[in-house]
Amino acid sequence: MDHTIEISGLTKDYGDSRGLFDVDLTVEPGQVFGLVGINGSGKSTMIRHLMGFLHPQSGRCSIQGMDCWRRAAELKRSIGYVPGEIAFPDVKTGFDFFNLQAGYFGKRDQSRLHDLIDRFRLDASAPLKRMSKGMKQKTAIVAAFMTTAPILILDEGTTGLDPLMQKVFTDLVREEKANGRTMFMSSHMFDELEASCDRVAFLKRGRVIEVVDMSQFNGDEPVKEYKIEFNQPQDYLAFLSRPFSVSRRQEHLNQVSVQVADLAVADLFAALADLDVRFITQVPRTLARHFIQKYYETEGHPHV
Amino acid sequence: MVDRLTKDYGHGRGIFGVSFQVAPGEVFGFVGPNGAGKTTTIRQLMGFSAPQAGRATILGLDCWRRPSQILRRVGYLPGEIALPDGLTGSQFIRFMQGLRGARDSERLRDLLDLFQLDPRSQTKRMSLGDKRKLAVVTAFMADPDVLLLDEPTSGLDPIMQDCFIEFMRREKDRGKTILLSSHLFSEVEAVCDRVAIIKDGEIVSTVRTDDIRHNESKTYQIKFGTLADFQAFLTDCGPQVAFADQDERRVEVRIDDDDVNHLVRRLALYQVIGFKERKTTLEDYFLRFYESASQKGSHGPHH
Repeated sequence: MDHTIEISGLTKDYGDSRGLFDVDLTVEPGQVFGLVGINGSGKSTMIRHLMGFLHPQSGRCSIQGMDCWRRAAELKRSIGYVPGEIAFPDVKTGFDFFNLQAGYFGKRDQSRLHDLIDRFRLDASAPLKRMSKGMKQKTAIVAAFMTTAPILILDEGTTGLDPLMQKVFTDLVREEKANGRTMFMSSHMFDELEASCDRVAFLKRGRVIEVVDMSQFNGDEPVKEYKIEFNQPQDYLAFLSRPFSVSRRQEHLNQVSVQVADLAVADLFAALADLDVRFITQVPRTLARHFIQKYYETEGHPHV
Repeated sequence: MVDRLTKDYGHGRGIFGVSFQVAPGEVFGFVGPNGAGKTTTIRQLMGFSAPQAGRATILGLDCWRRPSQILRRVGYLPGEIALPDGLTGSQFIRFMQGLRGARDSERLRDLLDLFQLDPRSQTKRMSLGDKRKLAVVTAFMADPDVLLLDEPTSGLDPIMQDCFIEFMRREKDRGKTILLSSHLFSEVEAVCDRVAIIKDGEIVSTVRTDDIRHNESKTYQIKFGTLADFQAFLTDCGPQVAFADQDERRVEVRIDDDDVNHLVRRLALYQVIGFKERKTTLEDYFLRFYESASQKGSHGPHH
C-alpha cells in the first residue's frame, strides 16, 4: 500500500445529482493535493468520507491503508483537520482548546504552538465564543498544524483570512510539505492552490472532471502564450501569414495571441524583427482561467 | 464622502483621520488586512455608529444624522451576514423590500436567476454561499445608485465570483457608484477605478488601477541558449538589465513600451530559449507596501 490516500469508486447519491459519483483519486506520500469546485459539487462530502464521518454507499476510501469508515477512531490521531464549518468543543479560550488538542494527540513541545500563534498573530486567550470569523479560522488552523499528525485535511482552510494571513498560511503549507507531511485541501482560492499544490482535482456535480499537474501552471510551462500588438495593419497581416499557432486574433486592434514553445521562441523574434511591434506581453496560464474554461466546456456553454 | 473620520476603539484599533471621496459612477476599492478598519469605515457610512471626530456623507446626506434616508438610498452588503432566525429567504427578501421601498419584482427575479438562488429554504439552513447570495440580492434589488459592499465574494465559489465580477462591471456601466472592500486582488483589479490601501486605521496609499494595469514599461525575463549569447547581450544592452543570473543564463530587463521594437530586433540576433513577462499586480503593490511599512518598525494591532 503506497498511496497515502486512496479513493476508489466512491459513491454517495443524495439525489438531484448531488453527492459523489464513482470518484477515484490517489494522493502520494508528501504530496499536497487540492480540490476545487463550485458550492455543492461534493468537496465537503468527499472530505467527510475521508474523516470517517460518512459511510460510502459504494466504493471505499482509505488513508495509510486503513479504511476511513471502519478505522476512523484510529485514523483521527494521524490527521490534523480544519473543518469547513468550524464548531469548537465547549471550552472557554483558544488556549483551552489547544490544550485539549495537545492532550488528544500527545504532547508536542510548546514552542511549536507559540511559534504558530505568533505567525498568525492570534490572541489565543480570547474567548472562543467572541472570536471573529477570521480569528476562529486561525484558531482551527493552529490546532491542526500544532499536531505531529502526518496528514492534514483542510476544508477551505483560508476562508475569512486576509491576504497577509493567506501568505502566512501558504508559507506554512510549503514548510510542512518540506517536512514530508501529506495534505489534502479544498479551496476557492486559486492563488493558494497555485502556490502550494502538486496536483489539483476539479469536481463538478460529484464527479472528478479533471486532475491537473500543477507544474503546468508555475510559469515555466514549456509552451507559452504571447499577445502581440502591431502599429500597422500590414504588419499584423504579415505576421499572420507566418507559421505560428494563433489562438486569438483581434483585427480592429492589430492584435494577435500565439502559442509558442520555449524552444521555438527564437523563431518568434526572428519573425518580429522586421515588423513594427507596439507591444508584446506573455499571458500566464492560470488555474482560474483553466478551471472556468473547463467548467463551461463540460457544461456545453460557449467559452468565457 | 468621508472626511477625517475617526473612531478609536483603543489598543490601536479603529480608524484615525480617514478621508476619501468617491465620485459619482466611480468604483472605489478598499484593501487591507483584517482589523485594519475597512468594516469600521463602511459601518460609519451606513450610520451604524457615531463618529468620534470627522464626518461621513453620501449624496450630501450626513450618514450619522440621516440613517433612515441612507438605508433607503444605499445598497449595503455586510461583511458578516447575520440573518434573522425563523424566516425563509423569500420572507427576508419581502422584509427588506419593505425597508428599502423596493417594488420592482422583475429586477428581483433577474437577480435570483443570475445568482441561481432558490430563496424558499429557511435562512438558518442555508449554506454560507447561499446566505451570501441572499445578501447580494437584497443589496441590489432596490436598484440604488450607491452601493457599499463589504467583501461581497468571500464564501462564493469561483464560478459565482466570476459571475459577480461581471455583474459589478455591468452595474458600473449603468452608472452606479460602488465602494468595495475585498481580499481578492483579481476582483479589485477587474472592477475598481481607484484603490485605497488601509493599514492600522489609516489610509496609507491610494492608486489608480489603470496605473498598475497599463504600466508603460514592462519587465521581461529572457533566457539564452548559450553563455556566449548571455554575455553578448549583457555587453550590448547592459544599461537596461536589471538583474542577471549567469548560471541560469537569464536576464531581467525593464524597458519602455516605445523601445520594444529595439528589444525585439536585438533578441532576433541571439539564441533565446525563454521569454516571459514579470507583471506588476495590485498584489505586488499591496505586499510591497506592507512589507516596507513593517520594516519601518510599525506594529500590528495585536502587539
